[in-house]
Amino acid sequence: MVKYIIKRILMMIPMLFAVLTITFFLSHAMSINPLQSDVNVWDMNIYYAEMERLGLNDPVYVQFLNYLRDFFTGNWGESYSGLYNGWLVTDILITVFPKTFEMLIIPMILVPIIAVKLGSTSAKNRKKKKDIMVRSIAVIGAGFPSFWIAILLQYLFGVVLYQVTFYEFDIGIYRANNVLLDPSFPDIIPPIFSLVAVVMLFFLMIGGFYLIYRGNKLRKREEPSTRNYLLLFISGILICLIAIVPIMIYINTYGTKFRLLDSIIFNEPIFFWDTIGHLILPSLSMTLISLAIITRQTRSSMLDVLNQDYIRTARAKGVPERQVINKHALRNALIPTSTLIIAGTTTLLLGSIFIEYIFNYPGFGDTFFSAIMSGNILVINGCVMVATIILLSGNLIADVMYTIIDPRIIYR
Amino acid sequence: MILGLSIDEKKLKIKIKVIFLIKIENEIAINEEKKDKPGILSLIKFYLLPGWRIPEFSEREYKIEKIRSKRRFFRHLLTPLTIAGAIVILSFVFMGIFVPWLTGYTLQELVPPSIPGLPYKLPSPNHPLGTTRSGFDVLARMLWGARTSILMAILPTGLAVGGGLILGIISAYFGGKVDYVLMRIVDLVYSIPTLIIVLILTQILGLNLIDMLMIWGAFAIAGNLRFMRSLVLQIREMLYIKAAKTGGALKFKVMFSHILPNALPPMILTFFGQMAITMLGIAAISFLGLVNAQIPNWGQDISWSSIYEENFLAFLIPGLCTGFFAIAAMLIGDGLRDAIDPRLKI
Repeated sequence: MVKYIIKRILMMIPMLFAVLTITFFLSHAMSINPLQSDVNVWDMNIYYAEMERLGLNDPVYVQFLNYLRDFFTGNWGESYSGLYNGWLVTDILITVFPKTFEMLIIPMILVPIIAVKLGSTSAKNRKKKKDIMVRSIAVIGAGFPSFWIAILLQYLFGVVLYQVTFYEFDIGIYRANNVLLDPSFPDIIPPIFSLVAVVMLFFLMIGGFYLIYRGNKLRKREEPSTRNYLLLFISGILICLIAIVPIMIYINTYGTKFRLLDSIIFNEPIFFWDTIGHLILPSLSMTLISLAIITRQTRSSMLDVLNQDYIRTARAKGVPERQVINKHALRNALIPTSTLIIAGTTTLLLGSIFIEYIFNYPGFGDTFFSAIMSGNILVINGCVMVATIILLSGNLIADVMYTIIDPRIIYR
Repeated sequence: MILGLSIDEKKLKIKIKVIFLIKIENEIAINEEKKDKPGILSLIKFYLLPGWRIPEFSEREYKIEKIRSKRRFFRHLLTPLTIAGAIVILSFVFMGIFVPWLTGYTLQELVPPSIPGLPYKLPSPNHPLGTTRSGFDVLARMLWGARTSILMAILPTGLAVGGGLILGIISAYFGGKVDYVLMRIVDLVYSIPTLIIVLILTQILGLNLIDMLMIWGAFAIAGNLRFMRSLVLQIREMLYIKAAKTGGALKFKVMFSHILPNALPPMILTFFGQMAITMLGIAAISFLGLVNAQIPNWGQDISWSSIYEENFLAFLIPGLCTGFFAIAAMLIGDGLRDAIDPRLKI
C-alpha cells in the first residue's frame, strides 16, 4: 500500500511538469497585453522599461526556462495588475486559497452526510412519496444552472427577506471584502492560546491513535505491540513540541489567513460574525450544486445493492431492517459514491469561479478569473498549478479510500 | 388448423400458446403468405416426439420473441417522466426549427449593434414577456436561443461520445503501445481542470461559439474513452467475439460490426447525461461573457438581465429554459437506462 502511494506520488511529478508546460505556453499565447490594465504604466517609456524588467521581451523559450528555474527555487513571479498589483504570486495564493477553503469547508462536510442519507432513504422507499420528493429535489438541483440559483438565493435573502437576515453584522462591504484592508494583528504571543493549541494537538493525537487501533481491530489484522504504541506516542509528543514553536510564531506574526480562525485567535468578534454572515449564502449554493449529483449516485447504487442476494439472506436471517440498510447495504453502496465525493470537492473548487464571481468573494475563483481577463500570466500559472496539485492528490485520496471502504481491493 | 384435440390439460396449454402466437403473428402481419400448412405427418411428429418443432414455426417464434422484446422495451420506456422529457425536448426542437414563423423579429434585431427600445420594459402586447437590457424582446431571444442551445447540446456531446467510441475501441482492442499512449494522454487531460483550460483558450481563439464547443467536446473525449475502453475490455472476452475471430473475420470487421453494437447502449445513455452537463457548463461560460454576443444565448441573457430591475421575467425565463432543457435530457437518459438495463451502473 505504502509502495503504491509512493509510486503514485512519483507519477504526479511528470504530470505536474506537463501541466506546467501546457499552461505556460497557452497563457503566453493569450491575445491580451499583460500590462494593459496596469495602473502604474501610463507612459510609453515606463511601459518599455516594465516589459524589459518583467522579461516579456525575451523569446518564449528563454522566458520558459527562466520561469522553470524560478519555479523550483520558490519564486513564482509577481502579479502585474488587478487587486494584488505588485504582490508575489506565492503570497497571493497563500491569501486567496484559505478564503476559498473557508467557503468550501461547510459543503465538504455537509454534502456527503446529507446526500448519503437522502439517497439511502429514497432508495429504501422506492416509488413512494419520500422517494419522489428527494428525486425531484435532486433533479432540480442538478438541472438548473448553479449561478442562476445563486442569484435567486441572493435576491431572496438580500432583497425579499432582508429583515430576517443578520444584516446588522455587516461591517461595510469595503472593509469586509477588501483583502488589502485586513486589520494588522498584534505581534504578542498570547500564552493561553499556545497552551490550548498544545492540549488540542495532544487530544488529536490520542484520537488518531485510537482510530488506528480500532481500525486494526475491526479488520482483524495483527496489532502492533504496546511498546510500539508507546514509542509512537513519545516521538509524536516530541515532534509536536518541536514543531509547535515555529508554527506559533508564524501564526502570531502573519495569522493563519483563515479569517474565521484569525478572528478567534485575535479576539475580534465583529470580524467573526461578519465573516460568517458573508459565508452563508455562497456555501449554501455550493452545497446545492454537489448535493444533487451525489444523491443521485447514492440512490442508484443503493437500489442496485438492495436487489442483491446477500441482502435477501440478511433479511431472511432476521437482521433488523435498520442494520440491513446501514451495515449490509450502505457500505457496499458507498463504493462508487466515495470517488464522487472526493471528485466533488475538486469540482466545487472549479465551481467556486462562478459563485465567487456572483458574490464578489475574493477567493481563488475570483482571482483566477480576473487574472485570465487581464492576462496576468504568472498568476494564472500559479493558480493552475495549485488547482492541479489539489485535483491529483484528491484522486489519490479517493483511490486510497477505496481500500478502506472495500477491503477486497488491493493495490500493488 | 389444430382442431379435434382431446381436452387434456397439457395439450390445452400448448393449444393456447400456439393460438396466442398465431394471433400476435397476425397482428404484426408478416407479408409472407402461409404457403404450406403443417401436414398431418408434422402434426403427428409434433404430438409424439417430445421437443420436436416445425422449423418454420420456431423461426416465426424467434421473430415474435424479437418483436415482443421490442414491445417490452417500449413499455418500460414510456413512463410519464420520460414522455414529459421527450415532449420538452421536442418542443424546443420545434421552436428551433420554426423560429422565423413564430416571432416577427429577425436575428439582426436581437443582437448588440441594434438598440431597439427601452430597457427592462414590463410585458405589453408588443413585447409579451417584456424586454431585456438594450430593449431586446425576451420572448424572441428565448425562441432564437433554442436554436443555439440545441447546437450547444448536440455538437460537443456528439464529438465527445463519437470520439470516445472510436478511440476507445482502438485503444482496448489493439492494446500495447497504442493503448499506453492513449491512456497517458487521458491521464494528462484528467489532471488538468478542463474548465480552466477552456477559459484560457477562449482568450486565445476569440469568442467564437463553435470553436468553444469543439474545444469542450475534445476535452470531454477523455472520460468517454476511458468508459468505452472498460466496456470493450469486457466484451472482448465474450464467446461470440472468439467465434468471429476463429471464423476468420478481419480486425476492423470484429471491431465495428461485432463489438461496437454491443457497446453502444451504455454509450447512448451517457450521451443524454453529458448533454445536460455540457448545456450547463457552456451556459456558465457564456454567463461570464466569454461567448460571441452576435448569437442569442440563454446563458448570456441571464448575465445581461439584472434581477433588481423592473422586468423580473428577463432573468427568470432564460434560466428556466436552460434548466428545463437539461432536466429533460436527464429524464430521457434515466428512462432509457431503466428500459435498456435497469441494473446498469452509470
